[in-house]
Amino acid sequence: MVKTEEKADELTLPSFLIDRPWVTIVWDDPVNLMSYVTYVFVTVFGYSKERATELMLKVHNEGRAVVSSGSREEMERDVQRLHEFGLWATLSHDGEK
Amino acid sequence: MVISSAFLRHGDGSFVAMFADTEKEVLINLTEQLIEILAERVDAVHTDPLAAMVNMTGHDSPPDDDVLARLLPNAYADPVDSADFRRFTETELRSKKRSHALVVRSNLLNLEKSTVRLNEESAQAWLGALNDIRLALGVRLNVQEQSHEQLELLSPDDPMRGVYAVYTWLGWLQESLVQALMDDFDENDSHEDEEGWEIQT
Repeated sequence: MVKTEEKADELTLPSFLIDRPWVTIVWDDPVNLMSYVTYVFVTVFGYSKERATELMLKVHNEGRAVVSSGSREEMERDVQRLHEFGLWATLSHDGEK
Repeated sequence: MVISSAFLRHGDGSFVAMFADTEKEVLINLTEQLIEILAERVDAVHTDPLAAMVNMTGHDSPPDDDVLARLLPNAYADPVDSADFRRFTETELRSKKRSHALVVRSNLLNLEKSTVRLNEESAQAWLGALNDIRLALGVRLNVQEQSHEQLELLSPDDPMRGVYAVYTWLGWLQESLVQALMDDFDENDSHEDEEGWEIQT
């Protein structure tokens, strides 16, 4: 038993060390209102209106913005919530896709 | 005769707007179309009861219809991850969006003297449904970042001209509701209200 656990630890440790957070990305689209996108960021993430406005402008000006990061499960929940609000959101492991 | 008005937040915390009869009819019609389009896809109905129990739709590909594909978008760039995610989440997403639209429809069908009065929960349902309808119209109108000048110039005979008029009206209506809901944030927030919101992202 003990040996098995040790082996399991050895096996999982390397991937634990290089684990990067997942990110939720919101993409610009030509229909959603700027005020609405800000409202959604405040409502879904609890960000201040100022922070939410900054993120909205980043989406607007740069075509996309990382709006949250964390575990894959957390990001899937965030994406699902953003889809409920009609925002175009994806999750990714490297922030580039 | 009724003069329509955008959403305003009243002192009792309710959100109030007035609709002319034609506006009411247009919005009921669009809401019913949204409800219909969000109904379960018939192309690949999953009959496995175990799958149904865990909310699996059996759908793992994006919808063929462009409107539905925008309302139920892919969650991953990778098609395999996206398919897995969709299989477990699409049913719930559809039903949330449908429930928002059903609130709007029911409020409009039970309208008294053309005035809609919403509590915060219904206001949020309205906000989601108005946005979904605008997303759907935006797909049909092929709205792009720079296409508004073009759409303004549609000929009076073009059937899309009327659709575009409804699209801009709904944008105005939604903007008023967002602003009314954001009054809440300002009460809890010392930052000064930003002036000059633009309409489009």
